[in-house]
Amino acid sequence: MFEQLIKSIQDKVPATEQELQLCKHYFTPKKIRRKQFLLQEGDVCNRMAFVEKGSLYSYSTDAKGNQRVIQFAFEGWWISDLYSFFTKEPSSLNIEALEDSELLLLDHEQHEYLLKNVPQYETYTRMILQNAYVALQRRIEGTIGLTAEEKYSRFLNQYPTCLNRVPQHLIASYLGITPETLSRIRKQMAR
Amino acid sequence: MHVKQTIAIIGATGNMGQAIAKSLAKEENRLLLFSSNLQKAQLLAEEIKSNNAAVEVEGIACPVDASWEADIIILAVPYQAEAETAKKIKDVARQKIVISISNPLNATYDGLVTSADTSAAEELQKLLPDSKVIKAFNTTYAADFAQPVIDGKQTDAFIAGDHSSAVTVVEELARTAGFNPVIAGPLAVSRTLENMQLLMIQLTMKYNYNWHAGWKILHN
Repeated sequence: MFEQLIKSIQDKVPATEQELQLCKHYFTPKKIRRKQFLLQEGDVCNRMAFVEKGSLYSYSTDAKGNQRVIQFAFEGWWISDLYSFFTKEPSSLNIEALEDSELLLLDHEQHEYLLKNVPQYETYTRMILQNAYVALQRRIEGTIGLTAEEKYSRFLNQYPTCLNRVPQHLIASYLGITPETLSRIRKQMAR
Repeated sequence: MHVKQTIAIIGATGNMGQAIAKSLAKEENRLLLFSSNLQKAQLLAEEIKSNNAAVEVEGIACPVDASWEADIIILAVPYQAEAETAKKIKDVARQKIVISISNPLNATYDGLVTSADTSAAEELQKLLPDSKVIKAFNTTYAADFAQPVIDGKQTDAFIAGDHSSAVTVVEELARTAGFNPVIAGPLAVSRTLENMQLLMIQLTMKYNYNWHAGWKILHN
């Protein structure tokens, strides 16, 4: 139930067994089925989710109801709407399960408790947020500056093993290109 | 759109379990019904759906899976069965609201099996140290859920718990079920609440209230 989380923490900080045990007590284990929501637009995002098993994605919807994919999250990843989580303003995002998933959730209170009481958790969180910031910056830079081909190559590097778990139209949406363009690029690369 | 809260009812096909399931069968809730008899749980789910097709409800074969998926867990099992259930769901109930509805009556209904310095709810909290145990629905009979207004008055539903945000969530559930929620105090107040229902049961048998009676505080 906690294997991926413990691995994620140990990969980044030298946490003691006692600290890991304390962390375990404050996470809420939650199973969610495919197509169920962790967050819906208009709700305040009051928890961060760590993926133990399965996958989720976050997206906004435009006026026509089209999905605009922001992020995918697989085993060992975090997913949330940090804007809504930190400001307590209603979220403009949805977070939906792509597959049946096992999550570990952390709400504000639990997060604050761990920050105060487990120094290694604070370091871990700082590294996670640092990585999220870098990823966001690279995503913006890619979105405004790279060609469709370059964006797809970068995507393959970022999500190498998970490609066949995500429907093509969601990958196209994530990259900001049409499914037709994605299909053409995939054919070109296969040659 | 709001994310639905998933409520697992453990012991869903008993008198209380059924009554609670039916009264919480609203569109904002997703119900997972566990009973040791899966077929009965599925039949109950079908019955609920036939009354309101928009309600998400299903019978589920495993109490651990039900609790793992849940945001709120309602233990609608007798006091004597709570310890065994708690042992099974302990890991997946971490940080979740667990509602204790039981009254630890003895076999002759003239006393409680718990000692005076504790309660069924506090004993459950000891078994589930990482969960937020809330006492609720122990002072209401199963029949009260179908008809929460008795003699023209809305029955009170007393709630006790140590986690204020969890108490607020359960207060809303009691309101959804048609009761007037009354926050009684910390979890230790469960001792009083459980004794109140012991008295109610004794009076029900003595004066033949036909198992449809409830508490109401009259105040100005």
